[in-house]
Amino acid sequence: MGSLHSLPDEPQYVGLAEKTGFSFEQIGILHKRFKQLSNNGETLRREDFNTIPDLLCNPIRSQIIEAFFDRRNFRQTDGVGTVHEIGFGEFLVVMSHFRPPSIRLDDEQKEVIRMEKLRFLFNMHDTDNDGTITLEEYRHVVEELLSRSGALGKETAKGIADAAMLEVASISMGHMEPDEFYEGITFEHFNKLLKEFEIESRMNIRFMNMDTTTLCK
Amino acid sequence: MEDPWGTALALFQVWISVLLCLVMLPAMFGLSLGVTGVYIQILVQILEWATLRIQRGRKEKPSVPIPLPNGIIHRDGGSMAQEILEVRGSRPGGDFTLGDVFYFHKKGMESLVDDQVTQCFSSEELASWNLLTRTNQNFRYISLRLTLIWGVGVFVRYCVLFPLRITLAAISFTWLVISTTLVGFLPETRICARGLSATIRYHNKENRPKHGGICVANHTTPIDIVILANDRCYAMVGQVHGGLMGVIQRSMVRSCPHVWFERTEMKDRNTVTNRLREHVACEDKLPILIFPEGTCINNTSVMMFKKGSFEIGGTIYPVAIKYDPRFGDAFWNSAKYNMVSYLLRTMTSWAIVVNVWYLPPMTRLDQEDASQFAQRVKSAIALKGGLIDMAWDGGLKRARVKDSLKEEQQKMYSSMILGPDGPGDLADTPPLLDLQD
Repeated sequence: MGSLHSLPDEPQYVGLAEKTGFSFEQIGILHKRFKQLSNNGETLRREDFNTIPDLLCNPIRSQIIEAFFDRRNFRQTDGVGTVHEIGFGEFLVVMSHFRPPSIRLDDEQKEVIRMEKLRFLFNMHDTDNDGTITLEEYRHVVEELLSRSGALGKETAKGIADAAMLEVASISMGHMEPDEFYEGITFEHFNKLLKEFEIESRMNIRFMNMDTTTLCK
Repeated sequence: MEDPWGTALALFQVWISVLLCLVMLPAMFGLSLGVTGVYIQILVQILEWATLRIQRGRKEKPSVPIPLPNGIIHRDGGSMAQEILEVRGSRPGGDFTLGDVFYFHKKGMESLVDDQVTQCFSSEELASWNLLTRTNQNFRYISLRLTLIWGVGVFVRYCVLFPLRITLAAISFTWLVISTTLVGFLPETRICARGLSATIRYHNKENRPKHGGICVANHTTPIDIVILANDRCYAMVGQVHGGLMGVIQRSMVRSCPHVWFERTEMKDRNTVTNRLREHVACEDKLPILIFPEGTCINNTSVMMFKKGSFEIGGTIYPVAIKYDPRFGDAFWNSAKYNMVSYLLRTMTSWAIVVNVWYLPPMTRLDQEDASQFAQRVKSAIALKGGLIDMAWDGGLKRARVKDSLKEEQQKMYSSMILGPDGPGDLADTPPLLDLQD
C-alpha cells in the first residue's frame, strides 16, 4: 500500500537548482519524466529516447538526441567527446539550455543567456567540434529537414544547401576575392546571422503556472 | 473444537442470505435498493472534504508539488508554417534559412519533456487525491485526521467491500455458466455490475443500438462490456480464448449469438469483414459491439479508430463511455497489470461510476471513405464524452512509430520551402564560388 514519504533527493535538488536555475517543482517534474524514459533506471541511453513518438517524427531527432550525450553541453570547462549514458544531473543540465529566462534580467544577463543558447545550437551542428559548421555539416542539416523521396532528390537538397551557404558567406564575409574560400560558419558568423532571431524568448520551454490549484471537479 | 466451526458456518449462512435478499434478487429483477446511490453520495462528501484539507495543507507548505492534469508545458498551437514564420521574424520568403532548424529543435525538446502519447498509456493523474494510495504519487503527510480517514478507507475497502464483491463475482460466474440457456445474459451482468459497485448512468436511451447495427465505443477496460451489456444484449466480436475466458465465452454464445473467430481467421481481413456483413444483414440479429481503438486507453482521450469496422456498412451507433476518476481508476494497463491483479484493484477501489451516452446513429456519406467516416464518429464520441480527440494510433502502445511519419514532417517542410510547384526556381542560381569542403 505504500507509506507516506517526503520529497526524495531534496538536498540533491538544491545543488541542481543552483547549477541549472530550475525551480524545485520543475526539477521534480523533470525527474519524473527522466524515470519514465529510463524505466525507473538511474541512467538514460540513446535507445530510451526512441520511446517518444513525437520525437521520432522530428527530422532532426538524431541531432537532438546526440546533444544530450555531448560533453560540450554539460557545462564542464573542457568537456569534449560523447558519452554512452547520462544520469539525471546531466539530463537536467542539457535541459537547462532551454530554460525559460526569469523576468527580472538586465541586458547583460540576457546577453549571456543568449550566447549560451546559441552555443548549444551551434554545437548541435558542429559535429566534429572544429569550431566551424562546414558546408558538409550544413548540407547534412538541410538534407535531414527536406524530404528525400519523390520530387525532391538529393541533388535538390544539395542545391538548396549550397545556395543557403552562399548567402551565409556573403553576409559574413562581404565581398570575397576570387581565390579566397569560405571555410564554414564560425560561432561569430553564427551569432551575426541570427542577430534578429529572438532566441532567448522563443527558444525555451515554458512550464505551466505551478501556483494554480485545480479543484476537484 | 466444534464451536468455532459452528459459528463460522452460521455467520456464512447469514452472509449469504443477506446477499441474496439485498443484492441479488433485486438485481435479477432490475430493481435497486438505492444503497449504492447513498454510498456514492457519502463518498463524494468525504472526498470533497479531503480535497479541501489537502489544499489547505498545500498552502501552508508550498513545497508540496501539484500534479497538473493537462500536460506540464505550454505549447504553441500553430501549424508548422505559422511557427516557422514567427521564428524568422522579419525575413519571410520561401528560402531555407538557418533559423528554420530551431523550430524543430524546440519541438524536439518539448516532446522530450512531455508528449501526448506516453501520457495516454499511463493512468490519469488526478488533481486532487481520492484517498487511494495507488492513484497518488505525490502525496505528503498533511494531517492526522486525513490519515485516519485514509486508514478507515483502507479497512472499508479491503475488509467490507472486497469480500462482498468477491462473493458476488463468484456467484455470478457460477450462475452464468450454469443457467445461460434458461434466463439469458442480462441478469448476470447486472449482478456483475452490482459486484463492482458500479453506478451507471445511461443518457439518451432513445438512441440505444437497434438490431442489425454496429455499436462502437471507446475502450478503457474489459469492464466496458459489462457496462454496455447491462442495458441491452449485444453480439460480441472477438478471438476464441482458452481457459477461464473461454468458458465464459462459450456460455455467452449459448444465450446470444455472438461471432467468435479463430486466431488464424483474424489475420484474413476479408473473412472477418464478410462474416460481420452477413451478421449485420440479418435484421433480427443483435447489434455487434466493436471497440475500434483496438486497445485500452486511459479514458482521457480517444485514439485513432481502425477503419475496418467502418467498412462493413450498416448503421453505426456510437457510444461514449466516461468513467469518473474520483472513485477509482478503471484503466487496464495491460503492460503493468495482468487480468487478475487488475480485477483485484478494481474491486478494492471505491466504486465504478460511469456515464454512458448513446449518440444518434450515423451512416457513411457518399463522399467520404471509411477512414474519414471513422474520424467523424471518433470526433462525435470524443465531444460527447469530454475526451480529447487524438489522431495517434493506439497501436503505439506496443509498436514503434513508422518512419513514414517522419517523412510526413519532412514533406511538409519541403513544400513550405519550395512552394507547391517544386524545385523549379533553383535553375536560376548562379554557379558557386570555389567552396572548400
